[in-house]
Amino acid sequence: MSTSTTTKNASPGLVQRLTKNWFYLTLVGIAVVSLVRIVTDTNDLDSAGTLRAAIISTCPILMAALGGLWAERAGVVNIGLEGQMILGTWGAAFFTYHYGPWVGILGAALLGMIGGLLHAVATVTFGVDHIVSGVAINLIGAGAATYLAEAVFSDYEGGGPRQLIGLDPPTIITKTPVISEAALDLADKHWFFVSDVASVVAALTTNISTLTFIIFGLVVASAWILWRTSFGLRLRSCGENPQAAETLGVNVYLYKYIAVLVSGALAGIGGGFLALVSSSGYGAGQTGGRGYIGLAAMIFGNWRPGGLLMGALTFGYTDSLRLRDTDAVHALLLLVALALLLIAALRAVRGQINGAIVMGVAGALVLAWFLLTDSVPREFTVMTPYVTTLFVLALGAQRLRMPAADGQQYRKGSAG
Amino acid sequence: MPSEVDAVRLRGIGKRFPGVIANHDVDVTIRSGTVHALIGENGAGKSTLMKILYGVQKPDDGTIEINGNEVVLKSPTDAIDNGVGMVFQHFMLADNLTVLENMVLGAEKLHGIGDNARAEIRRISDRFGFELEPDVLVERLGVAARQRLEIAKVLYRGAKIIILDEPTAVLVPQEVDALFANLRELRSAGNSVLFISHKLDEVLAIADDITVMRRGTTVGTADPKTATKHELAELMVGSELPSPETGESTVTDVVELELHDVTLTDEFGRNLLSDISLAIHRGEILGIAGVEGNGQSELVEAIMGMHIPTSGRITLSGEDVTRWHTRKLREAGIGYIPEDRHRHGLLLDSPLWENRILGHQTEAPNVKGPWINRSGARKDTTRIVEEYDVRAPGIDTLARALSGGNQQKLIVGREMSGDPKLLIASHPTRGVDVGAQAAIWGHIKRARKAGLAVLLISADLDELIGLSDTIQVILRGRFVGTFEPSTVTPQDLGAAMTGGQTV
Repeated sequence: MSTSTTTKNASPGLVQRLTKNWFYLTLVGIAVVSLVRIVTDTNDLDSAGTLRAAIISTCPILMAALGGLWAERAGVVNIGLEGQMILGTWGAAFFTYHYGPWVGILGAALLGMIGGLLHAVATVTFGVDHIVSGVAINLIGAGAATYLAEAVFSDYEGGGPRQLIGLDPPTIITKTPVISEAALDLADKHWFFVSDVASVVAALTTNISTLTFIIFGLVVASAWILWRTSFGLRLRSCGENPQAAETLGVNVYLYKYIAVLVSGALAGIGGGFLALVSSSGYGAGQTGGRGYIGLAAMIFGNWRPGGLLMGALTFGYTDSLRLRDTDAVHALLLLVALALLLIAALRAVRGQINGAIVMGVAGALVLAWFLLTDSVPREFTVMTPYVTTLFVLALGAQRLRMPAADGQQYRKGSAG
Repeated sequence: MPSEVDAVRLRGIGKRFPGVIANHDVDVTIRSGTVHALIGENGAGKSTLMKILYGVQKPDDGTIEINGNEVVLKSPTDAIDNGVGMVFQHFMLADNLTVLENMVLGAEKLHGIGDNARAEIRRISDRFGFELEPDVLVERLGVAARQRLEIAKVLYRGAKIIILDEPTAVLVPQEVDALFANLRELRSAGNSVLFISHKLDEVLAIADDITVMRRGTTVGTADPKTATKHELAELMVGSELPSPETGESTVTDVVELELHDVTLTDEFGRNLLSDISLAIHRGEILGIAGVEGNGQSELVEAIMGMHIPTSGRITLSGEDVTRWHTRKLREAGIGYIPEDRHRHGLLLDSPLWENRILGHQTEAPNVKGPWINRSGARKDTTRIVEEYDVRAPGIDTLARALSGGNQQKLIVGREMSGDPKLLIASHPTRGVDVGAQAAIWGHIKRARKAGLAVLLISADLDELIGLSDTIQVILRGRFVGTFEPSTVTPQDLGAAMTGGQTV
């Protein structure tokens, strides 16, 4: 039949088009960054060092965001991510001290999962308001970690009531033969575009933790599981219309439990990354609200793996820039201005005039700020990552669409 | 062909909820290969019984036999495994998923979730003329298409016993005929159909057997070959069917609401309404007939100020109100009975007296200066509850606890207070029982006699023909015909509604 053949061709066609789009967008992005780097003469804007720091800064947020995605796709709002992450930092430290870093990561996932289990019991079984339960888990997570650290780590070598340092990190790829050096050399030439690509290659091949690759792998795996398998379809149906799912024989409670447990485990791994890769041990208050930022990245990423990846990367990048080089923050203004103007142009082409005007004005303002000043006040530098992420994502995200039954209480037998 | 063994036998089914007995001593027997109608007023316990048969709820008493074997249905999965499928009255679809995803959900093992499933959907769709595209998001489908999807879902699972909960509520006569043709085909293929309805004409047209429910129990069976509507109605409610007839005309010369060439365009530039012009006089009921999704909601929303028309002019009592917002319009004297009372008319988890204030939050007796006048609102709610016969334990009851008919009566009472000039009634009797239907018709008739202009939108063509002074048919956002209710038949209207010849 002619109709069926057209659709068969259409679906890979769509994938191709999308990936092609992403590919071009990345190219344009690199070109713009390169341009800004040369115009402002701040080579640190995308040096291999900055990018490496950006990746390290991105990973925990990415895990929190991914955890949020799993839970919310099944209809459970998990603002307990922060607490689950804190539990993860403790778990990573404890298990690494005894059994080495890889078991440590599993331990982090396990502790995060315990936090997830609490949340699932409260919200799914007992129908507690998701926000209330989430806040409680954040408080419990912080309290439990403090208590456990004091009780357990005080007697350890390198430990104290508020920390446990000197832990082995998971395997680090210090240098990839040939590629690392060639890329670093090329990056140091500061050529347009070529050096920037080289920077990216260098950052990805030199001094990078294998856990990073696992984390990015988890994002891809989650996208595949949630959107390409029947398990994922069932899980998402629980977030869209649990009553309908129930009438079709989906065990809604079970899927919500699985989703929230996975969510907790991912947040825990994020905490583990903080303790083992970002720093070399457990420290109280180490998460610093990254669970919430992950949640925000997921929301502005429109409950989509690609979107949350963008959000986490934006935050991670601006955060690392702030820490490495305050001058670069000023250059960032130009970058943000160009990004906003680009989006404005895109909207204008699509005929969304109002959106185009808002973005255009915002872009022009940021551009004026860049042109009229030489540096950004210190007070602003501190909040750069937050403001930029909010700005780019809030203005860039169109029509946020959360799962239809997200955050709603669901009772078995309520169908019909 | 009916075989020896009955498809379904329900014996002594009982189900209690806290404070309510939903079902007791229910006996139903569905012969194999027949269409069995279950009729009864809203709140008679039909839906609860269906949920029990579909495993959504567990019965407290009684036994279920399917094809002669006693079964215990703990969940819909058990029901599906026993060949029972159900189409719910409120569709069980996830808007943000595609047709394919909704279809295969829970039945992924049958044909996977990829191209095999796609082919199977096309096969079912072609066989019954469902016109379903697998990769379209459900939110883009109209009501009739959603229903076809629901039936296809059941067939996809290979159900032999199919439950349809009030399937015709959203369809025009022609679509009902098409549905019935499908049901007959299903029957001749050896399936058993349980058809729930309170439309007696339809029941008599399609059913092989009829079981009547009242107040949670089965009160009798009837043979459609010999039974009459009146007998069935008496079994259902213990009284005769009310009629929507309005009596002599009260139309005056004074135009209350006028629309001039109103056009409404959506964000993609498509016309939702095209050049709509109408005039409603005081004491006139203008009926709008149309298949759902042809611009009725948009028309109402344009008049109510929820959408500003792209072009055209709206006047109320001679004043240009085209760009007024909703509250100003309401204060100017428009009463509004929304089509979906759960989403637009009520706060289900608020008490009745708070619901009384909704939409009238700037008017006496609800406010005193900037503050809510609690006692005034409560007193007026008591008045509405009494005058409009809202059966509720008290005005502190949550709106959710009321039956559909009583919720609707509360809304009608609320909208009629404060002396409106214009009443917009969108499907005022949808999903309410016969008693409440008669009461609501009475209120609309009285409003008309008192000189109100009424815009009536309904899918119930008998209601439209009975109540209206003039009927306009809307199709794809355009008025396509004007009919005189005294001469038109539902078939004429149906033809115009689906774009057939205008008589």
